[in-house]
Amino acid sequence: MISIKDLNISYNSSSKVIDSLCLLLPEGSIHGIVGLNGAGKTTLLNAIYGIKNIDSGEICLDGKGLTKNEMSFLVTENFFYSNITAREYLSLFKNLYFDADRWNGLFFLPLDTIIDDYSTGMKKKLAILGVLKQDKPIMILDEPFNGLDIEACRIIRSILLRLKEKGKTVIITSHIIETLTNLCDDIHYLEGGKIKFSKEKHEFAEFEKEIFKSIENKSSELLSELI
Amino acid sequence: MSVCPFIIIRLKQLYRTLTGIGLIRFIFLIALISFLGIYVFLQTLKTPGSFYVTGAVLLIILMIHAKRTDRTFLRTHFEHYGLICLAEYIILTLPILVFLIINHQWIAVALLLVALSITAGLNLKIRSPQGNAKMLKLIPYPCYEWKSGMRRNGYIIFSLWMIGLGTSFFIGSVPIVLFILGIIPFSFYDKEEPYQMIIACEMSTNRFLFNKLKMQLTLFSLLAFPLVILFIIFNPQLWYIPVVEYLIFITLHIFLILARYAFYQPNEKPYSAQVYGAIGVLAGIVPILLPVIWLLSVRFFFKSQENLKPYLNDFN
Repeated sequence: MISIKDLNISYNSSSKVIDSLCLLLPEGSIHGIVGLNGAGKTTLLNAIYGIKNIDSGEICLDGKGLTKNEMSFLVTENFFYSNITAREYLSLFKNLYFDADRWNGLFFLPLDTIIDDYSTGMKKKLAILGVLKQDKPIMILDEPFNGLDIEACRIIRSILLRLKEKGKTVIITSHIIETLTNLCDDIHYLEGGKIKFSKEKHEFAEFEKEIFKSIENKSSELLSELI
Repeated sequence: MSVCPFIIIRLKQLYRTLTGIGLIRFIFLIALISFLGIYVFLQTLKTPGSFYVTGAVLLIILMIHAKRTDRTFLRTHFEHYGLICLAEYIILTLPILVFLIINHQWIAVALLLVALSITAGLNLKIRSPQGNAKMLKLIPYPCYEWKSGMRRNGYIIFSLWMIGLGTSFFIGSVPIVLFILGIIPFSFYDKEEPYQMIIACEMSTNRFLFNKLKMQLTLFSLLAFPLVILFIIFNPQLWYIPVVEYLIFITLHIFLILARYAFYQPNEKPYSAQVYGAIGVLAGIVPILLPVIWLLSVRFFFKSQENLKPYLNDFN
């Protein structure tokens, strides 16, 4: 069980990005985190992965601190060195049992081409292959479906479901709620640095309604003034 | 992930970059590096020179480390982030280390290695404080390169400028500050703007280029003039030093902007522009290269005109 207790993160003394956040994420499940832009999703993931300093609180796996050995992380905007091929990029990650060509059968990437010539979607697929090659028990995926076509989205969904069956834990954010409701075992709605509500699989229909209603309430008044 | 495969891939990356710049530019670059190599070797023969070289190299490495764009990638994918950085920096400084060893400058070697190890472990990120916002308001809107550059480096520029003003009675102070302030704007132009920003100016190619040059020279002159004037007041017999330095940087900035638009590709960082930018910086250190810069500036003016035509042809 990944447990986050009373987590506080701020970028400067006046603005708290994560505010006394508490969250329990069982292992062997897919956990979705949603929220509006700037709600603190990426900051939360960065903190879980350990690349964002926290003000207070703790993040533990079965009572012990999480280490990078146990996690792989797909960031929103992936970085690629210029003038290297996709195969060379994948060779940066150590995993003797990973057959890049067989896995690439799912994505059809030209692995011997320089990455600079890749489209946005191809780069995303390559970054996902990199994360899969790392083969860590916990996968943190920040907006993995951004820029992907329908086919790739379906394939990644299938991969994640199979990895879950193998006991992997996936923490995923997306602003496309439908992708999460079709994939996750639980979804947590982040607002103002806090978990506003969490829903289990059987409550997702109600969850979507709640989110859309909340957004509608916020924007309808201004919209009617503008248009 | 061990360090060796990573370094091999980085070397392959460098090889492809170098082969991509073309044979003539490659020969030119090799000639420049050889010239610089000889100059540095001669400097490392004796003790004060070897320390100056060590200091300059460390400053460059510190700047590279602070401006690394692969920091998050390395931190999220590799456990030995510091070790990878250290290996890269040792390879980068290897020629200098070899020069220092050949010339038995053991203290400088030890200093360089220790400082590199410390630098590699630092989570260094230059970020200007918010107080910078007032300074940014003084820069006109069309000078977006300066706005962006000052947002990143404004704190350093302002501190240096104040140090330069405050110590202008020392002979060496103003020339050194002016040199650093002349080099910093090179980083303002490292990434090309989207073509929409060029079209939005609604100017002919020539007017666009002259406008860019005018804005760059005006803003640099505003920084440089107070330093030059104070230097002349305190050291009237050496008035020509900051004046010549200022004029050299003016020509280098003209070269920089013309090289940028001669190889302009929207939203990109073209290698050719980067290589020529580096040559421009070198010319600031080795003024013997200045005639080459002047000749190239003329060539790049015409090349820029051609290169910008697709975007500004309607306004010509």
